[in-house]
Amino acid sequence: MKKIGVAILAAAAVFSMPLLAFGQDDEPAADEPGADGPVAPEGDETPAPGEKGAKGEGDDAGLGGICEIDPDACPKLDFDKEAARDIREQVFAVQQLFVLRRWRFEVQPYWQVPLNDQFVGHSGPGLGLNFWITNVLAAGVSGNYYEPFNSDSDFNFQTRRSARVSVPLTEYQWNANVNFTYTPVIGKFSGFGDFIFQYDAYVVGGVGATSVRPIPVIDPDNRGFKWETNITFNAGLGLHIFFNRWLAATLEVRDYVFNDKLESTTIAANPQDTSTWRGETKLTNNVQAQLGIAIFLPFSFEYRLPK
Amino acid sequence: MKRALLLGSTLALASLLTRAAPAQEILLTGPLKGAKSVHDLRLYRKSRVEFAPTATFTLLDEYQRQIFVGARLNYNITDFLAIGAWGGFGPKPLKLNAGLVEKIQRVSSDRKRDNAARRGQGLQPNLQNRLTSLNLGPDFADQLGTVDWLVAPQVTFVPFRGKIALFQSIYIDSDLYFFAGPAIVGVTERGDCAGPDSTLNGGCSSELRMSGAVDANNDPIPIPNNFGFPTAKRVAIAPTFGLGFTFYINRWNALGFEWRAVPFARNTGGFDNHGGGPDADFPDQKVDSDDRDLKLNQMLSVSWNFYVPFDFQVSE
Repeated sequence: MKKIGVAILAAAAVFSMPLLAFGQDDEPAADEPGADGPVAPEGDETPAPGEKGAKGEGDDAGLGGICEIDPDACPKLDFDKEAARDIREQVFAVQQLFVLRRWRFEVQPYWQVPLNDQFVGHSGPGLGLNFWITNVLAAGVSGNYYEPFNSDSDFNFQTRRSARVSVPLTEYQWNANVNFTYTPVIGKFSGFGDFIFQYDAYVVGGVGATSVRPIPVIDPDNRGFKWETNITFNAGLGLHIFFNRWLAATLEVRDYVFNDKLESTTIAANPQDTSTWRGETKLTNNVQAQLGIAIFLPFSFEYRLPK
Repeated sequence: MKRALLLGSTLALASLLTRAAPAQEILLTGPLKGAKSVHDLRLYRKSRVEFAPTATFTLLDEYQRQIFVGARLNYNITDFLAIGAWGGFGPKPLKLNAGLVEKIQRVSSDRKRDNAARRGQGLQPNLQNRLTSLNLGPDFADQLGTVDWLVAPQVTFVPFRGKIALFQSIYIDSDLYFFAGPAIVGVTERGDCAGPDSTLNGGCSSELRMSGAVDANNDPIPIPNNFGFPTAKRVAIAPTFGLGFTFYINRWNALGFEWRAVPFARNTGGFDNHGGGPDADFPDQKVDSDDRDLKLNQMLSVSWNFYVPFDFQVSE
């Protein structure tokens, strides 16, 4: 019974929170459309002067009455010329945020490939979960899963065979992080001069843990290593390329930095002594390119068109 | 299990109850209604020559990182299509050895010292030394395969043109382009050789076997010949492709960032890797073209672009 009560409370909390992702204050400014009344729906708008059917055009109604009463006061406008007039309306470079993120969740599945390890491949899937506190700042978690995807490269094998030099290798199991994401750059591209798509660039950083172990190459007959978890710091740069207001492609380059305890390159007199298996500790940069998609929840948001 | 079920049903219930956040149609009225997606577009490229000095940094290098000094010259036929060429060369001070080179050199030098001691005792060099004599010369860095220069005639296609806002206060015009073409690459690699004889005799080995010294079995004891492995230059033809961003600073000036790949096969370590055994996957006591491996040869360029004439056209 107690659990059902907890469930109902949790459901109520989830239900009440993400109802609306507010992009700006509810109250519209006095000079905004909608401040003085509802905006006319598309297709039911009042025709602009100069358009066919505009009031006052010809003698049907509106100005026609004035013209009848006082011909001198009748406006003599060439509507075609007025319509062709160069209008110097102020247009902002990026008129509005295409996607408002405040109070929305972002689910970011991706596939990553390592960029700086020529010895062992650590490709694998990953997942990021962000909650956007403002339109530019998010807090979240992310993780990578490596274990089945570690691959010893041909280059590594060739170096061992040709130079008889063994380089200590490390394989990864998983990685988990807590991150903050900040978006200082937004932009848009016109594709083929026809359609427009939006993108943003963000920086991300945080702290977490990575589970790693050496691949025994110096004394594989005797050594077998257990997974060890290392504190990991991460920092990266990324892009969201938006397909619509809730779906984007993501491309991110992130560096995961941790202290890696490598396999010892010497073999002790007693090779079974596990305390002699590990050698130097090295600061390791695991730079990954992460390609995936981002799904923003809820799918839509309340949006007001700024002037 | 029960907890998982409870949590799952809670989330399912919540997702059913949660209403979609309402959206509002963007009502385009006034001067923008029915307008093209872009008008009064600054045509930074159309009918202009682009000259861009570049610094190019190689990526994912095994033994040696390189920085190429070069330039790109393009004529932009339209705002979305350009023809031109990029070229660069890698001066020796900008060929930077990776840590692995030092490690291999250190191990090789230790072996040489160990072998000198063994020779003094009338013993053969240790097994590691004999197994690597075809692959490791006195100075490993001297046998590395390097790219000396590249010239790449290329076609550039610019499908995306836009602008970015930095902190919603600095606005910069930008474009995203793709390019492709053939690349002519000058490469230095370890020269072809065959057989276990010393390099002094036209073979591949770093050992000279005519030392005169013999071991207890009357077998000759080799000594290092102390001559580096000869290298040879060649020209490779390869495809090249990539993409880049341009950020326009003013009417005639821009910054560029570019990723490029030049896939072709080369022998970066100067090793005898292939040519023998099943599928030619094993060493064959020769160093030749069989020992080359296909590399993507990725690089990143930073450029400072200049456009002539200095003023751009504007679209309708």
